[in-house]
Amino acid sequence: MDLRRLTITSFNEGLRNKKFSAREITEEFLESIAEKDEEIGAYLSVFGDQSLDTARQVDEKIAAGEEIPELAGVPLALKDNMLVEGTKTTAASKILKDYVASYDATVVKKLKKENVVFLGKTNLDEFAMGGSTENSGFSVTKNPYDKERVPGGSSGGSAAAVAARMALGALGSDTGGSIRQPAAFCGIVGLKPTYGAVSRFGLIAMASSLDQIGPMTKTVEDAEMVFKNICGKDSLDSTSVDYAYEGINSVEDVKKLKIGLPKEYFISGLNKKVESGVSSAVERLKKLGFRFKEISLLYTKYALSTYYIVVPAEVSSNLARFEGIRYGRNSSPDSLRETYLKNRGEGFGAEVGRRILLGTFVLSAGYCDAYYAKAQKVRRLIKEDFDRAFEEVDVILTPVTPAPAFKIGEKVNNPLQMYLEDIFTIPGNLAGIPSLSLPVKKYEPEGGELPVGFQLMGRYFEENKILAVGKLYENN
Amino acid sequence: MLAKKDLEKLADLSRMKLKESEEKKLLHDLGSILNHFEELKELDTEKVQPMNGGTFSSNVWREDDSDTRLSGEKSKEEFPATENGYLKVPSVFGE
Repeated sequence: MDLRRLTITSFNEGLRNKKFSAREITEEFLESIAEKDEEIGAYLSVFGDQSLDTARQVDEKIAAGEEIPELAGVPLALKDNMLVEGTKTTAASKILKDYVASYDATVVKKLKKENVVFLGKTNLDEFAMGGSTENSGFSVTKNPYDKERVPGGSSGGSAAAVAARMALGALGSDTGGSIRQPAAFCGIVGLKPTYGAVSRFGLIAMASSLDQIGPMTKTVEDAEMVFKNICGKDSLDSTSVDYAYEGINSVEDVKKLKIGLPKEYFISGLNKKVESGVSSAVERLKKLGFRFKEISLLYTKYALSTYYIVVPAEVSSNLARFEGIRYGRNSSPDSLRETYLKNRGEGFGAEVGRRILLGTFVLSAGYCDAYYAKAQKVRRLIKEDFDRAFEEVDVILTPVTPAPAFKIGEKVNNPLQMYLEDIFTIPGNLAGIPSLSLPVKKYEPEGGELPVGFQLMGRYFEENKILAVGKLYENN
Repeated sequence: MLAKKDLEKLADLSRMKLKESEEKKLLHDLGSILNHFEELKELDTEKVQPMNGGTFSSNVWREDDSDTRLSGEKSKEEFPATENGYLKVPSVFGE
């Protein structure tokens, strides 16, 4: 079987038509991991036998003539900040290096019910904080398109695994672009759903008012298939909402959607390849019959500052639970205080430490109004920007990143430079709207060209519209 | 802007021991990030309602039923230290 051509959709067809067994494909993916991952470093742990067991069960069901779920046997990778009962979950942090999850995340539970084959857990920036996966406490992941470059982050391991054909798809999490930016850097598709569309129970929290789990796949069609199987209300995440996904099938209806181009996203500093890639996507959509309109999202400029106040504030409180008592311990005989200071001082990497300190600062007495309260107000202005825009258009099209994948080591010592990577993805998280990243054309890692992606943003819970535009784009 | 003693205070509040060698870079990085935030001062937000979170739901209720998802045994398995079936933690008093 040529793993290059295989998608989740074609896998499902092939499996039903007995072109191959789930076990054969799982074996091929495990071989592919064994062969390539030493160099790429996408995985932190690989399940192996456990994956083959699930695949065997799927094959038995098929042999017995039972109906199988549409994701049955699909070999997927999981970002290592999602809990799988009985397996190590580290969030790529040394402070969790020995932590074994005692329950399943809701998304994992849902996918287990679908008989998905989990291949393993993928690398990330520690606690999902970063845009290059260089902040992992364990290893650096390389971009399959150019091994001197980063795969993006924080879901860089998931993106690299899918791009290098070491998984058919993956789950990532996105707080400020952590699904979409690595998807763009690795030439794959990534969906950040509407805030509340997918349960975060069992996702190690980074910034709770922004975190969302979403699919990372080869095609938009695949992303849709995974998304509709993980969305919906969960009593264990009170921010999740009752939501049954319904796709749009009529091409005529899709072509009626009006697409907005916000002038604040087409700035002069845009990399030439990104600029020409995104323009070519716009031209193709125009040829398909879509109408475009220039719009304005006035407060875009302030999104970065707003985000880097809100996020550290939430980080500083969310990460208080890692105190060196419950999740692995390195006790100090001196005192409890010393135990905290030691475990947290040694356990957290530089970026996590920086955000905790920054968050503690912006929430502290005397500074809270000037920073945190101010940022919450500007967040409202950014959200209202989108509300106004979506009165004029149905979908907003922008670049995903200002430039293609950068070199390993290029930005890691300059946090502000690294933060600027997220300028086009952050506003969607602050507003809470769904947003899709997809490649401007088909890329192959062997092609010698760095991928460029574009972003489609939609109204709250209108994933169906951005996915429909994306599907039409990739099929034409 | 942030002084060395402010940083030490923040580190103590966050319960993180910083290495002497990290402090200089941290002061520089945090300084440039805080400096970037100054742009928010340009905006008049006096009449703007803060956006407190990502959700539009409010008052999410559930039935007041007990629901045990994890058995006592199972939750103890992952705890780093136990003794005679009890969870063992560093002593809290005596500081």
